Amino acid sequence: MPSSVFYRQFERHDHAAGLHAHATTYCPGCGHGLAQKYLAEAIDELGVQDRTVLVSPVGCSVFSYYYFDVGNTQAAHGRAPAVGLGHKTANPDSIVICYQGDGDLASIGLAEIISTAQMGIPITVIFANNAIYGMTGGQMAPTTLTGQRTTTTPEGRTLFSGQPLKVAEMIAGLDGPVFVERVALYDNKHRTHARRAIKKALELQVNGVGFAFIEVLAECPTHLKLSPEETEHWVRDNMEPVFPLGVKKDITDGPHYPTIPTPSFDVERILSVLGTTSEQPTRYATGFPAHLDPDDISLKLAGAGGDGAQTAAMLITRSAIAEGFDSTHIPSYGPESRGGTSYADVHVAAVEVLSPAAPHPHVLVAFNAPSLAKFGPTVRAGGVVIYDSSIITEVPDGRADGVRMVGVPFTAVAKELGSAVVKNIVALGALQGVTQLFPKDTFLAAIRASLGNHRAMLALDVQAFERGAALAAEFVAGP
Amino acid sequence: MPVALEVTALETRVTSNVNKPEPTLLPEYCKGCGRCIDSCTKGCISLGTEINPLTGLVPVTLDLDRCNHCGLCIDACPEPFGMRPEGEEVAFELVDPTHLCGPRPFDSPIPIPRPDVTVPLPERSTMVMKGTYAVAVGAVLAGCRHVYGYPITPSTEGAELMAKVQPALDGVFVQAVSEVAAVNMMYGAGGAGKRCMTFTSSPGFSLMLEGISYMIGAEVPAVFVNIMRGGPGLGNIAPEQADIKLACRGLGHGNTQAIVFAPATPQEMLDCSMLAFELAFQYRNPVVILGDGYLGQMTGKVRLPDHMVVPGIPEWAVSGDHSHRGNLICSIELSEVGLEAHNLMLDAKYDRMTAAEQRADLHRCDDADVILVACNTPAQSAKGAVKELRAKGVKAGLFRPITLWPFPIDALRAVLPQAHRLVVVEASSGQLEDEVRLALSHAEVQPPPMSHVQRQGGMLPSQAEIVEHVLSVEGVR
Ligand SMILES: Cc1ncc(C[n+]2csc(CCOP(=O)(O)OP(=O)(O)O)c2C)c(N)n1
Ligand code: SF4
Ligand code: SF4
Ligand code: SF4
Repeated sequence: MPSSVFYRQFERHDHAAGLHAHATTYCPGCGHGLAQKYLAEAIDELGVQDRTVLVSPVGCSVFSYYYFDVGNTQAAHGRAPAVGLGHKTANPDSIVICYQGDGDLASIGLAEIISTAQMGIPITVIFANNAIYGMTGGQMAPTTLTGQRTTTTPEGRTLFSGQPLKVAEMIAGLDGPVFVERVALYDNKHRTHARRAIKKALELQVNGVGFAFIEVLAECPTHLKLSPEETEHWVRDNMEPVFPLGVKKDITDGPHYPTIPTPSFDVERILSVLGTTSEQPTRYATGFPAHLDPDDISLKLAGAGGDGAQTAAMLITRSAIAEGFDSTHIPSYGPESRGGTSYADVHVAAVEVLSPAAPHPHVLVAFNAPSLAKFGPTVRAGGVVIYDSSIITEVPDGRADGVRMVGVPFTAVAKELGSAVVKNIVALGALQGVTQLFPKDTFLAAIRASLGNHRAMLALDVQAFERGAALAAEFVAGP
Repeated sequence: MPVALEVTALETRVTSNVNKPEPTLLPEYCKGCGRCIDSCTKGCISLGTEINPLTGLVPVTLDLDRCNHCGLCIDACPEPFGMRPEGEEVAFELVDPTHLCGPRPFDSPIPIPRPDVTVPLPERSTMVMKGTYAVAVGAVLAGCRHVYGYPITPSTEGAELMAKVQPALDGVFVQAVSEVAAVNMMYGAGGAGKRCMTFTSSPGFSLMLEGISYMIGAEVPAVFVNIMRGGPGLGNIAPEQADIKLACRGLGHGNTQAIVFAPATPQEMLDCSMLAFELAFQYRNPVVILGDGYLGQMTGKVRLPDHMVVPGIPEWAVSGDHSHRGNLICSIELSEVGLEAHNLMLDAKYDRMTAAEQRADLHRCDDADVILVACNTPAQSAKGAVKELRAKGVKAGLFRPITLWPFPIDALRAVLPQAHRLVVVEASSGQLEDEVRLALSHAEVQPPPMSHVQRQGGMLPSQAEIVEHVLSVEGVR
């Protein structure tokens, strides 16, 4: 009786019509049939039929799902290791087998096999190297021998085809795999050995040890245009010298691949991981800051990367939302993110922010001269510009339409407090002092909430904010 | 219809008193390859001479007088039903398969579906987050614990958040070797019945299209978030909407469609994300969420939903367990008739989506003379323009498709009669407008005059540009 891991009849093979019910699609003498028979026996002997997911490749073994009575997935050309990884991570208890040919694995799918092997996740890969593209009609494979004639190397490999790829050695050179072996099928001894190797590779997955890879030198009599027996000899005499048999890597006594955990759906845990809270923020404002605009205030904060414009902008948005208003913040660094300008557009709306951009802000906070030069003229009539007076020394005269220019030494104050990085908080304090967008407490609560684990920064931030607010208040009061 | 074939049932012969059985071979299942011949050291097997009329091949012949039951010939035979050990019965009849098997083709177990469970969430305070984060949060609450991706600006933050959140929930986050690998991991995990997703941006989305075609063919659900950036080619990382064509008309090769969401705010990013997973599984089809670079980066307020989902395992999944063993995830159908039938089945599914999943938001369209059509961030600018235009005496409204495919033509059709102009606002050279025109044409609706406001290269149409355009086409000054 054939291994019970084969379907009793191959329903998917032409609806089991006639002889198709019990015959493979392989040509007489094809190595695929043998490798797959040993694979079926191994699944059977290890008792993992129910847990097995077999990933069929594209190539002559594309229809592996006709034969194996296991969970089956058919992958795109070369992608079996990625598909297999998807299955293994979806259900770590499943036994995932990728069966692939040499075009599939060693040409189009190189990136997938290398990265999956290097990860070392327990998956079993059976790699049938027959030195040719079988399915598409005998073209050169990455494993085609030098001098071997194929339909795309009619005179053997050329200067544009490179040399045969020694896949087992390449995979063995990676850190991830625990076991790599190359086997052959051309005589009794080697067949017995191949069987054992395939079973071992599978067992290593069943025991959770790690990634195992078996390269099988397989016969393709059809495209070698030899008899099955001659093909066996061809493999022995021509392939084996180029692709030496044997174990290429064995670290199976080393540590096992770590256990893949089971995902949690615990409500409390999820809500905590997502950083949610049931605490309603305190509202300090008595209403929308309509003295700035009846229903939608726009602000721009601009400086160089590292000035903290984005953080300050985020704190404004958080403050606004805590007060029950709508607010948006869009950062913009663009290609100049590396040391270039970094600016943030913020809206605070009574009901809903519509257009989130701030081409004509009510308030501009400028951390350096280029930002002031670029955005100063865009501030709308009656608006305000707050700038770092310790950096910006030349300030254009106040505009005729009443844009106020408020200079506060963000950097100098921050340095005086011992840390230049809080200059954005000084700026935020100044913004509060000048605009009275929200009460101080609103901003301080937002600062507190956003510090999270960095509570040590709080005292410094509070000081920076208060100093900025006080300086701005002085400025507003006038000399 | 295959002809009924009668082949002699195999009798169980009494095996000899050695432990190992004798080999046996039904000539019909011998391909005549001869691999067994040189495996036998006793010379029991020889090349046949007669062509088997059923196979057209020449099976080998056995003469087991000297056989020592070593079994090597069995190990040498590549055919599962070829050389076999004698003495084990095989129910063995070649008949017309339609008589042979009932509704289920083989005796694999019947899958038992494990349904999703909806769990209520307690009231939480309003959160403040970016659009990409909001999609991620929606996905987590929709039960997604499998995220595969490859970093690309401006979608990366979503993946980065998942790289923290998933391990904290014992979920899976894999940074793949490429977008090609990522989409194929999704094919595997989605095929195993898990809710999985990726974050990508335009160039990465292009690379995923082949895989999406396979997923649609094999009916594998998954959610793709594409935060569109400027193209073509490497373009830039600023916002564009120039992948609408890909998502609505070009999901890889073959007859492919998927529901395409185009949210406009961080809140809607979350809402669409949750809905996307539900619909992906309901229809067994990928779902695409298109955002623009602005929306991905935009921080705004987000309220959590009142429930989350603990996903089950669908009955079709290849989940690697007993009950699902008989399943297959596959996009191959060799027979032309079979593949046409498969495509007709997909068409019927697309029709069901078209009937049930059109979504749109209409803002002041009821009395609008000028209807702006826009999605994603440009829709917010257009909404601002509606307000400004109304203040200037132009009765404008905004028609905002939330699903770009299926296009919400029914809702648009309803407000068209009194409008005398449609203005399509987008950050692409007419890809949204093409969808509008195609939908109108299929619905055989004669639209009013259409014009557009388009920006490209990473710039979105501004509120001022929209207002300016409408005032000029309307002749208002
Ligand atoms: C994307 C893509 N490119 C090309 C093909 C065509 N194709 C099908 S099988 C194959 C080669 C398979 O060769 P191999 O992996 O050596 O398997 P074999 O047929 O020899 O078993 C190719 C190129 C495809 N199916 N998909
Ligand atoms: S073409 Fe070659 S690889 Fe393909 S089935 Fe035939 S013998 Fe096997
Ligand atoms: S079982 Fe051994 S001896 Fe008997 S036919 Fe097969 S190979 Fe020959
Ligand atoms: S190995 Fe199998 S298929 Fe090949 S000749 Fe022998 S019995 Fe027939």
